[in-house]
Amino acid sequence: MSDLRKALRGLDWSGWLGAGIVGLIVLAAILAPLIAPYDPLALNIEDRLAAPGAEHWLGTDQAGRDVLSRILFGARASLSVGIGAVLIGAAIGVSAGIFAAYRGGLGEQIVMRIVDGVASIPLLVWAIAIVGILGVGPLPVGPLLLPNEVKIILLVGCLFSPVFARVTYAVARRIAGADYIRARFLQGASHWQIVIGDVLPNCLSPIIVQGTLLVAIGIVIEASISFVGLGVQPPQPSWGTMLSDARSAIYSGEWWLPVFPGLAISLTVIGFNLLGDAVREVFDPRSEARTLVA
Amino acid sequence: MSPALLSVEGLRVGFRSADGGMVEAVRGVDFCVAPGEAVGIVGESGSGKSLSMLAVMRLLGAPARATGGRVIFEGEDLLAADEKRMRALRGRDIAMVFQDPQSSLNPALTIGRQITDVVRAHRGVSSAEARRIAAESLERVGIRDAGRRLASYPHEFSGGMRQRALIAMAIACRPRLLIADEPTTALDVTVQAQIVDLIAELRCELGLAVVFISHNLQLVAEIVDRVVVMYGGKVVEDGPVEAIERAPRHPYTGLLKACVPSLSGPVGPLTAIEGAPPRLGRLPAGCPFSPRCPDAIETCASQMPALLAEAGHRTACWRPR
Amino acid sequence: MLRLVAGRIVSSIGTLLFVGLALFALTRSGPGSPARIVLGADATAEQIAQFEQAHGLDRPFLSQYAAWLGDVLRGDFGKSFVTGRDVATEIVSALPVTLSIVLFAFLIALVFGLGIGVLAALKPGGAFDRVSRFASVLGLSIPAFWLGIVLIRFLAVDLRLLPPGGYFPLSAGLSLHLQSILMPSLSLAVYYIAVLARMTQASLQETLRGDYVRTARAMGLSAPQVVFYALVNALPPVVNLAALSFGYMFGWALIIEQVFNIPGLSRALLNAISQRDFLLLQGIVFLFTAIFVFANLGADLINRMLDPRQRAAA
Repeated sequence: MSDLRKALRGLDWSGWLGAGIVGLIVLAAILAPLIAPYDPLALNIEDRLAAPGAEHWLGTDQAGRDVLSRILFGARASLSVGIGAVLIGAAIGVSAGIFAAYRGGLGEQIVMRIVDGVASIPLLVWAIAIVGILGVGPLPVGPLLLPNEVKIILLVGCLFSPVFARVTYAVARRIAGADYIRARFLQGASHWQIVIGDVLPNCLSPIIVQGTLLVAIGIVIEASISFVGLGVQPPQPSWGTMLSDARSAIYSGEWWLPVFPGLAISLTVIGFNLLGDAVREVFDPRSEARTLVA
Repeated sequence: MSPALLSVEGLRVGFRSADGGMVEAVRGVDFCVAPGEAVGIVGESGSGKSLSMLAVMRLLGAPARATGGRVIFEGEDLLAADEKRMRALRGRDIAMVFQDPQSSLNPALTIGRQITDVVRAHRGVSSAEARRIAAESLERVGIRDAGRRLASYPHEFSGGMRQRALIAMAIACRPRLLIADEPTTALDVTVQAQIVDLIAELRCELGLAVVFISHNLQLVAEIVDRVVVMYGGKVVEDGPVEAIERAPRHPYTGLLKACVPSLSGPVGPLTAIEGAPPRLGRLPAGCPFSPRCPDAIETCASQMPALLAEAGHRTACWRPR
Repeated sequence: MLRLVAGRIVSSIGTLLFVGLALFALTRSGPGSPARIVLGADATAEQIAQFEQAHGLDRPFLSQYAAWLGDVLRGDFGKSFVTGRDVATEIVSALPVTLSIVLFAFLIALVFGLGIGVLAALKPGGAFDRVSRFASVLGLSIPAFWLGIVLIRFLAVDLRLLPPGGYFPLSAGLSLHLQSILMPSLSLAVYYIAVLARMTQASLQETLRGDYVRTARAMGLSAPQVVFYALVNALPPVVNLAALSFGYMFGWALIIEQVFNIPGLSRALLNAISQRDFLLLQGIVFLFTAIFVFANLGADLINRMLDPRQRAAA
């Protein structure tokens, strides 16, 4: 994977900082059950609204729950939505893009029109509306009862897919006409082999760049949706719900309640943004012009 | 002899290199241009010819700087002038046209707008008068239907027309010196001849002095009075065009002449100059051409020959022909 | 040229209709039919059937959609089953509120984003350049609604400079109105200031290196004129981004309104959700989608209009 090596060698200090932050937060999320000092759901009314101190490093909330532990567990919700949505979006988008570029003809037209249609959907509004329509209860899928986050991951994933579809489509179209692909064909390579061996690797770098930046957006989307009560449901911790609960604290002075979850979101997003920017510098420095905005 | 219009004395231009040191690209260049005189500056890429003239106009980009010498234009040292004074001179007293007409015109503005902006920057005329002057300039450079053409955008012009438009912009305020930096290099051969002829005509009509930079000695020789040959950041020969054509003194000039095959005469093997263009920062202490010179002796590499004049023809060589 | 513009408009309308159909399908397929909501859980099948027939809910799906569209084009978004109120009226009363916040935020983002970007591009490597780069990383990463909360804490609660929430319409006086929308709009704008500043700086820096800028300098044009020559070429991608941003801002405005307790479309939308008032929800989401689609269309058309080469080719 020479692209990966190129990326690692090309990262400057901001890229490593971003990678470090991301790594730390991912680790914290994975290890949360091991490193959290308290149970994030444990109510403790006597200790409620304690300021940050030796016992509770980041303080406690209105129900006496330890803020630090809730932040560590909240990372799970944010990261799973951000990363999950990007993975799903990439899976759908890349397949669609490659299919359209390869097929040509009517298939290409139909797929790219659908992509355009999905790209015309305002993400946040529809996410709120659809979760609103479906309800915030768990999603029954066979024997499993999936929590609300899964709905959001699927939804946001679908809405992210046009980005990946367009990027993949552009690269694949450029490559599909290239002479060396024709040569491979003549050598007897099957379509599958060409797709996996030649087309995909070339799409990888823009996909990684866009994906990293989209994770950051996905995290803010999760926090926003949870903030208005349509995301992670209480008592499960999420940075967004923590901020929502902290709103009354703005007036009563418990500053640690709104500050720490907000810092957590900001820090995580900075990490992914720095990483994404640094990776883009390595692979395609001129694409600053095609900035991703949401 | 009338005083020179432009006198370049000991001009030096350097770059700050990646490791912080200073690399000299123009290493002490002297030459003069008399009023109404046409001078050609000939040399390979990297010889410092373009940089010298950019330094004269004080248009050097950030990494490059004029590090020494004087540039006297009509009695004034341009290297000591402030930016405000230079802005007044540029486009009005000295004008420069560049190599690539396609990229040298602003694609988002009409030709008329670009020329009238120049006119109004230097002369306090009304916009109607500026348009009249612009149209007149376009006519003078051979663009017909100039009045309508003012509303055209650069992409609607052919390459040759764009270069004419740029020349029109340059002469709109009647400068006394026109510097043309490889004005034909990016154009088709047929168009090249037209542009060269145009510059010659304008020189006669307007009494312009012209500095014509090129790597093509043949092309330049058609319209200039004198040729200055540069190599490795230095002037190696400077003389009347007939003398240079007939009997070049410096080995480099001789080879340059020989490189262009003649259309008449027998077909023989092509002449090429051996070796590669000099790398700035790795130049010998002596004559920069010595590594490639067929006549070189030991002194050539270690000691820099001075420019010696002989009947208005200067050469910097230990073994001139 | 006109044909191209017309073509893009038709295409966008087509996309909107198609997406609207998807929206329609979604709202109709949600759990809980309108009949049950209105008549109650113990309504009989007969009552439900009667209700549905009376409201045209038993007609084929596409014809329901067509009917609804026809009504929408006449400005009739229907009457809510839940509240009985006219949906269009509800939307029209809430829309100006959201619009005022988004417009003000857009103005702030344009002025500061472009301003900072231009200044940073004119002095590359300078202090302003480095500070603005750092600030834009922050601006891109700090969630708008958290910024809103922080601003309320500092400016409203601690310093008592501005009201902590609520909304004063223009009719209540310009000063009060601006005070009530300043913090929400500012929170919304910060991200887009960063986005536009980065884009403007990159674009202007690039165009300043162009040969035609060298020509402008060589002809003695003044420094502001030279910058203008570069800007004319640098702005199209920025304007494109700004148009897209306008569309995105409406989505994030929903969250900001909740932070500041502003009675705009977010309140209407969330109420519609909690009351399962799908007709109102449909109307609001359709409106947002239309705004978004036309913002994208605007971005695309602006791109084409600003480039004389494309103008001629079309």
